[in-house]
Amino acid sequence: MRLKSIRTSLVPYAFLLPGLLFLATWIVYPMIKALQISAYDWNIMPGQISEFIGLDNYIRAFHDGLFLLSFKNTLLYVVVTVCGQLLLGLFVALMLDHITKGRVFFRTIYYLPVVTSWVVVSLLFKYLFNSSPSGLINYLLVDILHLMSSHVPWLSEPQTSFIAIYCLGVWKGVGWTMVIFLAALQSIPSEFVEVASIDGASGRQIVRHITLPLLLPTIILVMIMLTIGAFQAYIQVALITGGGPVHRTEVLLSYMYDSAFTDLDFGYAAAQSYILIFVVFIISQSQLRLMKSESLQQE
Amino acid sequence: MKKQVLVPIVLLTLFSLFFSACAPTSTPTTEEPIAKVVKETVKETVEVMVTPTPQPEGPVTITFWHTYTEVSPEDDMLNTLISIFEEQHPDIKVEPLNVPWEDFRTKLFTSIAGGIAPDLARLDIIWVPELADMGALHALDELMTDFDQYKDAVFPGPLSTTFWKGNYYGLPMTTNTKAWIYNQEMYDAAGITAPAQSIDELQEQCDAIKAANPDAYLFAADGTWAWVTLPWIWSFGGEVTDPDVTKATGYLNGPNSVAAYEFWLEMYNNGCFAPVMLGSGIDPFTGYAQDIYANIDNGPWTYPIVESQFPEKTVYASPFPAGEGGSINVVGGEDIVLFKQSGHPEEAMEFIRFILSPEYQLRMAEVGQIPVRPDLIESDYIQSHPYFGIFLEQLKTSKARTAHPKWQTMDEIITNAGQLILRGEMTPQEALDAAAAEIDALLGQ
Amino acid sequence: MSQSKQNLLSNIVIYTLLVFGAMLTLVPFLYMISTALKGPVYVFEYPPRFIPAEPTLDNFIAAWTSKRFDRYFLNSLFVTIGTTLLVVFLSSMMAFAFARFNFVFKKTLYYSIMIFMMLPAMILIVPQFILASKLKLLDSLPAVIMVYTALNIPLNTFILTGFLKQVPKELEEAARIDGASSWSIYWKIMLPLSKPALATAAIFSSLGAWDEYVWALTVLNDPIKRTLPVGIAAFHGVFYSDWGLVFAASLIAILPTITLFILLQRYFVKGTISGAIKG
Repeated sequence: MRLKSIRTSLVPYAFLLPGLLFLATWIVYPMIKALQISAYDWNIMPGQISEFIGLDNYIRAFHDGLFLLSFKNTLLYVVVTVCGQLLLGLFVALMLDHITKGRVFFRTIYYLPVVTSWVVVSLLFKYLFNSSPSGLINYLLVDILHLMSSHVPWLSEPQTSFIAIYCLGVWKGVGWTMVIFLAALQSIPSEFVEVASIDGASGRQIVRHITLPLLLPTIILVMIMLTIGAFQAYIQVALITGGGPVHRTEVLLSYMYDSAFTDLDFGYAAAQSYILIFVVFIISQSQLRLMKSESLQQE
Repeated sequence: MKKQVLVPIVLLTLFSLFFSACAPTSTPTTEEPIAKVVKETVKETVEVMVTPTPQPEGPVTITFWHTYTEVSPEDDMLNTLISIFEEQHPDIKVEPLNVPWEDFRTKLFTSIAGGIAPDLARLDIIWVPELADMGALHALDELMTDFDQYKDAVFPGPLSTTFWKGNYYGLPMTTNTKAWIYNQEMYDAAGITAPAQSIDELQEQCDAIKAANPDAYLFAADGTWAWVTLPWIWSFGGEVTDPDVTKATGYLNGPNSVAAYEFWLEMYNNGCFAPVMLGSGIDPFTGYAQDIYANIDNGPWTYPIVESQFPEKTVYASPFPAGEGGSINVVGGEDIVLFKQSGHPEEAMEFIRFILSPEYQLRMAEVGQIPVRPDLIESDYIQSHPYFGIFLEQLKTSKARTAHPKWQTMDEIITNAGQLILRGEMTPQEALDAAAAEIDALLGQ
Repeated sequence: MSQSKQNLLSNIVIYTLLVFGAMLTLVPFLYMISTALKGPVYVFEYPPRFIPAEPTLDNFIAAWTSKRFDRYFLNSLFVTIGTTLLVVFLSSMMAFAFARFNFVFKKTLYYSIMIFMMLPAMILIVPQFILASKLKLLDSLPAVIMVYTALNIPLNTFILTGFLKQVPKELEEAARIDGASSWSIYWKIMLPLSKPALATAAIFSSLGAWDEYVWALTVLNDPIKRTLPVGIAAFHGVFYSDWGLVFAASLIAILPTITLFILLQRYFVKGTISGAIKG
């Protein structure tokens, strides 16, 4: 009897084992290894010795102008694109919730960028924002809409390069947030809205005082996920500007990747990764706490 | 939630103790405080990582890395030549791998680190000292018994690019240089009768070009890296470092080099030089074909590229306009190198011999690769070659870039200085002073 | 204004805005198609044209028949199918354990796995590269599959756990009384019942594997082994890009995902939502 109960109690572990093995090998071990590497001046050549330098890599990061710049660039990217996706996604969701016909049609179109590969859309936006007058964006702004007098050298300057990158980030994600908000909106019991409009509330008032507060948990949740995603920006920067000009459009991950695979400074790159993990962790934890306090407030 | 976060963290720490115990790492024994010195001396003695496994019967495969683009005339020719080689050597198979130029150095390093370096590579001449210094390459003059025969059969200039600290670490494969590629149609429209022979003529030509088409540019290059700016620096009489390569101060920021950059800045601000050199815009080839760029500074590959992409456009070349220092352009090219990690050095050397053979060199000449053998230059084929003429002339005065393991970083410093100058953030003197100081520090290490 | 007139007005405004937004969303795609049909001379012509002056299929032909693009497609297919099968299998097994059993460390393990979902995948790239090198898996497609699998397990385990929790206990109890082993419960009851969730998991891991770029770029050297995203990026050079070719190749690459999406929309949407809202 005892044997059988031991065996039965082992069953769940048996089901977990293969998956855990994968995770342990390719996620847990690398995580620990990265921590180890970050404490060394890691030499990648076979047969070479690596020198233990403790926290030097981390200290170096905080004195490294380029690292700090990439940090700042990343933060800006996070703030702009998260707000953009959140607001626009919410706005479109509200509109789609309101209409009765064509919902699936529009939803499909808005979701298309979400399922398109980052590589493809990055190259696409690089082409659209080409600095010459024949770049499509320049052509539209200057010759069609007459919003500007001369063409903008988008990708030759950091600030304008980032405008292109922000546009890409928002364009790619609006559909995703829209889908989530739409589902949340449709799960709001219609009685709430009906009661309010019977009481004479206008559409706008309903949205402000009923819909949005009910959506708050979802909004915060989406914000957390978008934030985590935005911190991982890499492909869009690597393919559109390559971190240039003069390394001014580097973001955390592009600088990390270059430290590793161009400068062959694995130790430094590992330290940067851990700093990034730390930052993402802190930010998502505080956002979670915000969500908890909001939902407590609602009760 | 706190408890549940704490426990995984504890578990992770336990895991880490477990894993780091059994993880093989190249960690030092912490007794020696001479880690820095150890790193230096160890650099010179890297062991061969891969012991050749006993080969089963059958052809030996050697890997050969190159940078020819996938859909290109050079790549096609390479594959044709490989088939010829394989027919002559039924026991050897050559596996070519195209790695884009911008990833080449990185992929090479990470592959060496991972023990999967190729047997052979067509390596840009500027990286040979770096790899030789690391101990990743075989010294061909020691490994190849008939090395002298090949050494005597190639141009001394390109040969010197394989030389580092007493040994030859490869053989030249191709050599090239750039010339002043000009747009006859735009010249005709602007009333320019001949390409500029001296830099002094350029401003006037620019005025004429812009009068005929305000949206056109006199000259375009797609960046400020050394490959682009050195012809100007040298033709103005400037230099990067002293002849012994010990410092840059007094050279990179010397009066002639500064004059070159000041000329660039003026031309850029006048709208004579295209803004694509700041990072984005229409690339030189497309602009040339679209009659927006009147001149570009490019190599013999321009002909096959323009022919395949823009068949309506005819290419013309002229010597680089001369400055105080003369008409000097940059020597480019690639060397064939053999990696110490190769499991088949003998077979690899067979392929090296084939690459240096007249047959290979002449066939490659058909797709714009200038041969490295003087005996071929005199041949009818080369003498009557449709476009090699100007480049061969230019080669007589072209100079090589600094042969130093740290060249990659020096190039970056020069590139950045150029960017800062064109963006108006520093004056040429200031930017070059800073760059020279950086390079001094680099060379002093 | 009467209620119905107000409704009509707001509807008109809303539809207009939606159409405008749809256009903003679609214009980049349309221009990509347009450029893919242009020869190199027209790629930067001025003024740029939406309808190409001399449309040509050359780019598509070159993209497909050039030395390895069909090979890239097959590689991506191989990697995607391999990853998806592994992920669906392993995630569902783990989800079964989490959803239907109680055991020591259950909560710990579950939360640990959830933490992994929050990790930026790229930060592991350096040690993963070193590990692949040690296991002699550098420049191999299996190394690609394994990392993709590991990265996709957490989210899909999460989705499937939520789903499997909802299977009525009675079904399981009845099967146990009949003497069924855990494995047959998993295989014969849980899996068939969770087809929608499995489909969602399959779709998400497929999408992830098909489009992944950075790990494939880093660990693969041999062009024969390249996956589509790496191949497309390789068509775009630092010094000269053949944009027509790049976009023709891109369109061929995104065609499967977009087709799949349009046909299986509800799974995409469901998965997105369950991944988010239940979290």
